[in-house]
Amino acid sequence: MITNQKLTVNHVVVQAEGNIVSDMDGEKVMLNISRGKYYNLGEVGGRIWDGISAPISIRNLVPILMAEYNVEQSKCEDHVLSFLEQLLEEQLIYIEEEGMRQ
Amino acid sequence: MNKEWKQPSLEVLDV
Repeated sequence: MITNQKLTVNHVVVQAEGNIVSDMDGEKVMLNISRGKYYNLGEVGGRIWDGISAPISIRNLVPILMAEYNVEQSKCEDHVLSFLEQLLEEQLIYIEEEGMRQ
Repeated sequence: MNKEWKQPSLEVLDV
């Protein structure tokens, strides 16, 4: 498991356990039980959270988002990587190298 | 029609 590394599209993203998630006015809010912290992921962030409900590589996640939103690949990759690094910093996700799961 | 993309950001709520 990797917890403190710069993300690349080759990484596989896995949701951490122990979060209660709810939709509120189209945005997704989350309570992390162990740390007692609340988060607002927003609308696009909430869609990304749904997209990683099962372990998925960022390389495979980006095309799913591009099919739903008006966004270029380079911008989508940059924004997704930046957002997932925020989640990683808050220990809401962890990452694995692509190919570790068979 | 595709939805508008807004840069996602994680907001920590002060609750």
